[in-house]
Amino acid sequence: MTDVGYVIAGYGVILGGIVVYVALLLRRLRVAREALRRDADATPPDATPPDARR
Amino acid sequence: MSELRRGLAVALAIARKDATSELRGRQAAGSTLFFAAIVLLLFGFALGPDAQRLAQAVPGLLWLAIVFGGLLTMARLHQLEAEDGALEQLALYPVDRRAIYAGKALAGAAAMLVLGGLLVPVVAVLYAVPVGAGWLPLLAAVVLGAIGFAAVGTAYAGLTVRMRAREVMLPLLMLPIVAPLLLAAVKVTVTALGGDPFGEQWAWLQLLAGFDVIMLVVGAGTYGFLLEE
Amino acid sequence: MKTRVVGSVALLAVIAAAIFGLFVVPADLNQGDAQRVMYVHVGSAWLGELSFGLAALAGLGYLWRRDLRFDALAHSAVEVGVLFTAFAIWGGMMWGKPVWGVFWQWEDPRLATTALLLALGVGYLLLRRLSDDPARRASRAAVVGLIAGLDIPIIHFSVVWWRGLHQGFTIGDPGKVLHPSAPLQFVAALLGMLAAFTLTWTWLMIRRYQLARLESQIEDDVRMSRINAARGAATTSTGPSTEPEPAR
Repeated sequence: MTDVGYVIAGYGVILGGIVVYVALLLRRLRVAREALRRDADATPPDATPPDARR
Repeated sequence: MSELRRGLAVALAIARKDATSELRGRQAAGSTLFFAAIVLLLFGFALGPDAQRLAQAVPGLLWLAIVFGGLLTMARLHQLEAEDGALEQLALYPVDRRAIYAGKALAGAAAMLVLGGLLVPVVAVLYAVPVGAGWLPLLAAVVLGAIGFAAVGTAYAGLTVRMRAREVMLPLLMLPIVAPLLLAAVKVTVTALGGDPFGEQWAWLQLLAGFDVIMLVVGAGTYGFLLEE
Repeated sequence: MKTRVVGSVALLAVIAAAIFGLFVVPADLNQGDAQRVMYVHVGSAWLGELSFGLAALAGLGYLWRRDLRFDALAHSAVEVGVLFTAFAIWGGMMWGKPVWGVFWQWEDPRLATTALLLALGVGYLLLRRLSDDPARRASRAAVVGLIAGLDIPIIHFSVVWWRGLHQGFTIGDPGKVLHPSAPLQFVAALLGMLAAFTLTWTWLMIRRYQLARLESQIEDDVRMSRINAARGAATTSTGPSTEPEPAR
């Protein structure tokens, strides 16, 4: 592999890796927010309210 | 000042208790030593038979065997109490956590010292390494290495002893931490056995000492948090 | 909203720095194009160390204050730190092959010590997975993060000694050392990428921290619902008891 190949591999994996992580992170955030919304909807009105967040 | 004296008394009491269990449960400590010796033997099969290559590898092999044996030792020193629920009892006593840590680290260092001290002659015989003139820096390396390893090991053993997968977590967490200790101890051993052309021995001994001090301080400071679970 | 701005600026900065480093800046006279990898390698290594340093401090904060937000910060920092440390190793290898001739060597142990950092970070993340109770997990993680953070300068010192005492590397072509007339543009490219990466890191940390807090909340909700279910099954009264739970 020529030097240029290594440069492409270097930048590709690193910058590409950041992009992939960002995408995964945003998806995890979305999933978490939906999960909390579902929990909030599902909680019956007379249940113990969630504790104050520390 | 009586605070300090009480702390020391507690530390010594704990160290003595651990030492007693080590001597009574002779099989466990002896087994660990035997295991480390077998590891040294296996290195011969893995790296031999060229005597020169083996001789060059000796410092590294010695310390790898000490580290592997040390992992078992540190785990064992916490295991007995954990199984009996004594760790929780210990946590209930209104005594300075640092004293408890000091006692256990002292016992650990003593156990490591015995391990290292007994492995040196094994290495000397198996790999025909004359110790001779370099015995003092070698001793220093073993002592400082024992202290440093016990300092880290006591904290991490306390941390992992009640965890799932503790057998693998202790080595997994400890090995990267003690890498500088391993490096420095090996370098001192190399210069002790084979001469010191670059005059680096003192620097490595200082690194060992610095490592020990830092890890003892941090270990003592954080041990309390690990006990009160 | 402000986070989005940071994110957009970071994205543009990274693109700009990458274009600059890849196409505008000239190749090094000795190392050739391989030198360009340094810009992302150094940036990644810097972010890795920054992250682990932050994680150690956050762990200390948790031990001091018992505020789980510190724990969330530490967890986020280590995850991001592991990511960039892995990138740093990859970058080091991609630079090493053309310049040293090998992907890995031990005479200049900086790659190996970066691998140690990666091991420390991965150990931390594994430790977290094996603990269920949030307070216990946070305590354990804080201690591990703190000790690991303190080990990092020790590792660096040992490297300085290791390298400094053995002059003259035998690996790689001595002609491949960075040419002394390295122009200012190299420095600019490096600093530019560092700045762009740091902005990216800031955005990542914010989002990852938000995620950590959400997951903590979900965990609490799951535990509360289990407690309520157990209570509901145990008592015959219509409503659950309203005693406050110690939020640990």
